[in-house]
Amino acid sequence: MTRTARWIVGVAALAMSAAYVLPLWSIGLIAPQYPEGLGMLIWINTIGGFKENDLNSINGLNHYIGMKEIVPDSIPELKWMPVILGVLIVTGLAVAWIGRRGPFYTWAVALGLVFVAGLADYAKWGYEYGHDLDPKAIIRVDGMSYQPPIIGSKQLLNFRATSWPASGGWVLVASALAVAGVMVSTLRRRSAPATLAGRESATALAATALIVGVLGCAPDSPRAIALNEDACTQCRMTIVDARFGGQAITKNGCTMTFDSIECLAAWARTAPAGTAKAIYVIDLQRPGTFVPAESAGFLRGALIKSPMAGGIAAFASQEAAEQQRAMLGGSLVGWSDLLADTTADVHNAGTRQ
Amino acid sequence: MVAQLQSRGLRYGALALVILGFAYACSNRQSGGALVGGDVAQRVYVAPGTHDEFYAFLSGGFNGQIGVYGLPSGRRLRTIPVFSQYPENGWGYNEESKAMLNTSYGFVPWDDTHHPALSQTNGEDDGRWLFINANNTPRIARIDLARMETDEIIEIPNAGGNHGSPFVTQNSEYVISSTRFSVPVPNTDVPIADFKSRFKGQFSFIKANEPGKMAIAFQMLVPGFNYDLARAGKGPSHGWMFLSTYNSEQANSLLEVNASQNDKDFIAAVNWKAAEACVKAGKGKDAPTDYLHNVVDEKSGVARSERIRSVLQLLPANCPGSVYFLPTPKSPHGADVDPTGEYIVAGGKLAAVIPVHSFSKMQKAIEGKEFEGELEGIPVLKYNSTIAGEVQKPGLGPLHTEFDGKGYAYTSMFISSEIVKWKLGTWEVVDRAPTFYSIGHLMIPGGGTSKPDAKYVIALNKITKDRYLPTGMELTQSAQLYDITGDKMKLLLDFPTEGEPHYGQAIAASKIKDRQMKFFKLAENTHPRVARTERETGVNREGKNVHVRMTAIRSHFSPDNIEGVQLGDTVLFHVTNLEQDWDIPHGFTIMGAQAGELLIMPGTTRTLKWVPSKVGVYPMYCTDFCSALHQEMSGYVRVSPAGSAVALTGTLSKGTSAAAGEKEK
Repeated sequence: MTRTARWIVGVAALAMSAAYVLPLWSIGLIAPQYPEGLGMLIWINTIGGFKENDLNSINGLNHYIGMKEIVPDSIPELKWMPVILGVLIVTGLAVAWIGRRGPFYTWAVALGLVFVAGLADYAKWGYEYGHDLDPKAIIRVDGMSYQPPIIGSKQLLNFRATSWPASGGWVLVASALAVAGVMVSTLRRRSAPATLAGRESATALAATALIVGVLGCAPDSPRAIALNEDACTQCRMTIVDARFGGQAITKNGCTMTFDSIECLAAWARTAPAGTAKAIYVIDLQRPGTFVPAESAGFLRGALIKSPMAGGIAAFASQEAAEQQRAMLGGSLVGWSDLLADTTADVHNAGTRQ
Repeated sequence: MVAQLQSRGLRYGALALVILGFAYACSNRQSGGALVGGDVAQRVYVAPGTHDEFYAFLSGGFNGQIGVYGLPSGRRLRTIPVFSQYPENGWGYNEESKAMLNTSYGFVPWDDTHHPALSQTNGEDDGRWLFINANNTPRIARIDLARMETDEIIEIPNAGGNHGSPFVTQNSEYVISSTRFSVPVPNTDVPIADFKSRFKGQFSFIKANEPGKMAIAFQMLVPGFNYDLARAGKGPSHGWMFLSTYNSEQANSLLEVNASQNDKDFIAAVNWKAAEACVKAGKGKDAPTDYLHNVVDEKSGVARSERIRSVLQLLPANCPGSVYFLPTPKSPHGADVDPTGEYIVAGGKLAAVIPVHSFSKMQKAIEGKEFEGELEGIPVLKYNSTIAGEVQKPGLGPLHTEFDGKGYAYTSMFISSEIVKWKLGTWEVVDRAPTFYSIGHLMIPGGGTSKPDAKYVIALNKITKDRYLPTGMELTQSAQLYDITGDKMKLLLDFPTEGEPHYGQAIAASKIKDRQMKFFKLAENTHPRVARTERETGVNREGKNVHVRMTAIRSHFSPDNIEGVQLGDTVLFHVTNLEQDWDIPHGFTIMGAQAGELLIMPGTTRTLKWVPSKVGVYPMYCTDFCSALHQEMSGYVRVSPAGSAVALTGTLSKGTSAAAGEKEK
């Protein structure tokens, strides 16, 4: 194995330990009466809820359709899985250390089998919970079963159930992809040495980068605004000016895009506390470039026509803003000042309707 | 080359997965906030100083009262106290109204109101009275809509949980009550496990078309199921009553499971004209029982309770043709009759369809004896012989149906939290509107009668979650107003309500507002302790009771200084409001009074009972801001030790009644 390949395997194996602290899978439930949603998170050793009492609530609802109560302690896999994963991590590190193809292939195949078995097991539990219903259930709909989808969305009576890997699950997916990349690369190297090595290493590196990205909470970073396509979350107007605007990334990983600092601030003021886990604004001097709102400097009442006519512009730092003030005028403020200021809401009141 | 393709594939694959993940996370939102737009604000805007188009009377659920609202604004106008004490105006606290809350179980200060029902003439709401049930301690009240005061309350014997009540026949011949919980009849000490053999259900037919004379005409004893809701027939089906049942399993424990096992329960169709004939022919029998009938005397304002010791009972088995069971899926909740009187719509809350029975098919089936069995002498008709159609895939948890009189029905869906509009006859769903959240009843003005006034439908919701500013652990309850004049229902307004708006009635304001009583004619006040002028006021002692005949007029009480009350006395303030003008009530209370205030309408007399607990001087004052000198409208009562030599006097300085106390002595 090449040095790069060994590093990648080592990093991938180590990254998998994230599964001990991050949830692997999430099942979200949305119903008319639950606008805020309910959900379950499957961890490597237990099952919890999105919120403190969600699992209780879900069990409470399931009794109507006669589904068995979900009791994490009664699921033996939740006891074995931490051990199995631990063995995989340790052996993975050993494989990287040894650096020989044979042990690597064995390990990679074992990893793949464990992942497939894990998914199959999840599907099996889903099937059993969804089909093994009390014949005396209160609500019985002919032909209806309540197996959540393995991946994707499905309507179960008044609930829409959506099942996806959670952050820990994505780390595992990325690690598996990295290992698969190394495997392909190593196999190719054996049959056609040297020539493609660079490209293959690049592939494996990309996979590693993906692991790092997922670990580093990739969804926290803003995404580029598509001009003339994206609409402002607040005023619903199409975004046409790349010099203004911003994005908020919610704790659910949603990206909210805004056409102006005014709209972003108005949204942030009214959103429930803790909704946004990161807020970015566009640097006036570098159109399309995001800077964190917290550290940005702002000019308010500047001689500049911002989209919502609030005259607010953002700069990479307070210093940068201060430098521009000589030319643009206005007053220098910080993000917290904008959050505290409600006068800008006037601009949005009319357009929100 | 292969590797290149594979690696590129891998990269794109991973990227695709990641993007899918975020796409999911962001699609997982829903909002009702954005559903309202356009000219909605104008549609519900009632300019300052102008009146709403409809009165709405929404029950307060567990507050035991009725809330009066205007539509379309949703503005709350007033609370009419019915079954719960109401310190704001002294209902159930003052001596006149206490008797209204008497029951065979004693004085009951609270109840749970569910279903207001307007009185009808020729199948149309006439706006004379409003009836409403007390769920917990079974009673029905009649409210006079000219005064918006509760006038009469009758207790229902042999009932447990008066939920299926009151439902009015098309000329208010009867209001009907069915029992939610079957109980032993007569109620006595039996093991609960003997439910199936000893417990009975009953339908009570209460004569309701004469004020002050509500009376249980007869009670029909029926199988020990749970009875839920009902509607009277109309037009061709006039003379019939349709009542839903659940728990035909006759479970007495863990009903949520054990009463949900049968695929079909029943709608009971009662031919009450046939039952009347049987009663007339002497087929019923008087059974001993015990219940109260409380009536407010119109002239004196004083309520009296009458105890009644027997009730006429009729067994369906002794009156063939009076009751039939229509099998109906599954634990039906509502049993609603359309304006033509032909269709009976069942809201099978656990059913996957909305079944609709046909009255004409039912009659043919009865003629042709298309029975599948018999239960305690009651023939069970075949489902296929009575069913007119089923609304397929209506939503989840259908509960109640009302009608617009244009061929459409509107059904509330509890679980899927929506109103579903569908067409009678074709049974096709034509529109849906989400409700926020978990709608129970819905209400169209006149939507249960022969003549709906179908401009709006109101959703009466069970929970509000995120719809309003939060108020601690308990959030407001709410109703929602939808325009139904077009093809599509249109949400116009959310408005918060007092208590749980369980069900409601609404009626064109024009049918009520011009008949409102403005004040009571003082000359007609026959209260035994009335003082029609200040000359008639005074204080007198009857043993330990001190009676104060008092008047209130802007801005003084007469007398306003009372001396000679002794510790150990009970003081009764009989306060007459001498005003003869609209909107000039006076209030009255005294320091330490262990009761609600008196709120005295112009021309009426109300009595506050006060037992002073300490020696001293006690201020009393007017509590309803009546005039510029309201703050001056006050007085004192001096309380002396027992056996004191202070003479009993009631004085008003420079007033005509200064010597009145002496005079009465």
